[in-house]
Amino acid sequence: MALYALRKLVFFIGAVFVASVAIFLLIRAAGGNVAAIVLGKDATADAINALATAYGLDRPLPVQYFDWILGMLQGDLGQSFRTKEAVADLVVGRLSVSIPLALSGLLLGLIIAIPVGTYAARNVGKPSGAVLALISQIGIAIPVFWAGILLSVLFGVRLGWLPTGGWVDWSDDWVGSIRSLVLPVLSLGLIMAAVLIRYVRSAVLDVMNQDYVRTARAVGMTRTQALLQVGLRNAALPIVTIVGLQIAELIGGTVIIEMVFSLPGLSRMILANVAAREVIVVQSTVMLIIVFVIFVNFVVDLLYGILDPRIRNAA
Amino acid sequence: MTITAPAVSVPKRRRRLDLNASLVVGVVLTIGFLAIAIISFFWLPSNPNIPNIKARMMPPFSPNHWLGTDGLGRDIVAQLMVGARTSILVGAGGASIALVLGTITGLVAAAYGKFADEAISRGADILLSIPGMVTALVLAATMGSGAFTTILALSAFFTPSFTRVIRSAAMGVLQEDFITSAKLYGRGRLFILARHVIPNIAGVMIVQFTLYFAAGILTEAGLSYLGVGVTRPSISWGMMLNEAQQTVGISSPLAIWPGLAIVLVVLGLNLLGDGLRDVLDPKLKRRSA
Repeated sequence: MALYALRKLVFFIGAVFVASVAIFLLIRAAGGNVAAIVLGKDATADAINALATAYGLDRPLPVQYFDWILGMLQGDLGQSFRTKEAVADLVVGRLSVSIPLALSGLLLGLIIAIPVGTYAARNVGKPSGAVLALISQIGIAIPVFWAGILLSVLFGVRLGWLPTGGWVDWSDDWVGSIRSLVLPVLSLGLIMAAVLIRYVRSAVLDVMNQDYVRTARAVGMTRTQALLQVGLRNAALPIVTIVGLQIAELIGGTVIIEMVFSLPGLSRMILANVAAREVIVVQSTVMLIIVFVIFVNFVVDLLYGILDPRIRNAA
Repeated sequence: MTITAPAVSVPKRRRRLDLNASLVVGVVLTIGFLAIAIISFFWLPSNPNIPNIKARMMPPFSPNHWLGTDGLGRDIVAQLMVGARTSILVGAGGASIALVLGTITGLVAAAYGKFADEAISRGADILLSIPGMVTALVLAATMGSGAFTTILALSAFFTPSFTRVIRSAAMGVLQEDFITSAKLYGRGRLFILARHVIPNIAGVMIVQFTLYFAAGILTEAGLSYLGVGVTRPSISWGMMLNEAQQTVGISSPLAIWPGLAIVLVVLGLNLLGDGLRDVLDPKLKRRSA
């Protein structure tokens, strides 16, 4: 297990390094002169040069890269060109919105998908299974932001039960915060569920045909008992993997849902800075998100090794 | 003497009927979608970008405006038709570039030794863990938004999945006996890849392309909804939803049509992809639909 964990750790560090180089080069290569981008079309050459010198943008690229990455490692994410605010301060305030939203969305997706997917697998070839497969196909085709729009029309505008957008801070009125999160979480969770149902269904189908389930049935368990007692633990492996892969999707969904419901989360901050051409803010925030996703996948890999001895020993 | 035909096994027939339903619905929806985009080049109800203040906010089923007009009096049908072009350009553009790059990298990983395989596969793993939406935001921040940026972002984040799928399909083919005989006959690696491997994995490539065409349309709609995708005078369904929300509120019918268009087209392409998978690759047992 230690060797397996070490291998995964090396991969984690390598992945973070490659991703950081990629993001850095993407911004520098695609963006060209950062100072010119920040100052806009009408800036004079003198102003551009002054800004470039002030922020060390005229240094060689490798120097700038290591300066940025070493700063990141020490918790210094850089600062905004215009407001001079530290990126770290900008980010922290936003997480109290984005993290609850993303986690509850994922959780809701799993709570729906695991029983429904299992049911669909047990009823494969029957009309009820086919209907569930069709519903999941339609759910996959619905853009998450449109689901958000429809839900807020129904529950916000027509029924008036919940706010259609906006945010109350946790410290002011936590009930209000939760009310603001219900519809966003619902939109995110339902769309996640549609995707996850397919994977849960195929994982359970695989497990149902395994020898150990047949053995469990042979010693007298009912189909349901066999599935719950031996099957589900084995189906957990592929499901954990998929959750890891879906984290990237989840973050994409969160970005959009925050816009639909005007929540002051991380993505609104990124978008505002994209519009303002605050390259450093975008670069550092995006890097943080990517590190988070790679970290989740690292944890998933470790879990996978713990759940299945065959995997850690094969490695 | 008469030979009685063996009893037809019922489950098998039902399965085939089932598959055809997915394929038929997929083909119909997809052809409808392509046809609308093509027609839009020859005929539009009116110019989708020119405001007409007199005809603002016309309800659906108005004369000359079947689905009404938006807050600036622009015809909805015309905008939806031009939006179909954008979906095809960006979705198919992103998926095509990813198909080309993914085929090259996937084949190299499968056929050019352990080192190439390890480097390419690990690289693909890393790229797969980068959220595509976020990459697109970075590109929009530096290159400015637009159809070209969106295509670039899509292909960057689709390519690793193509690499993975094509690599594993190619590895399967490379173990076949006819590959060995081609090698013994003295054929070079490139010849074998081009003449034997690619034709045998074409089905996988087509399916993958179809499914990512759909994913590209969804992502493009999302980016344009956020305002970092395509911009006017191009029109995108996601952009229309954004404008509907900004200008007239979400409860108007304007927030319905573009969303419905996205769902139908993405559903059609996904059904088509699943249906094609069953037809083109009967060995692959369908589990995930």
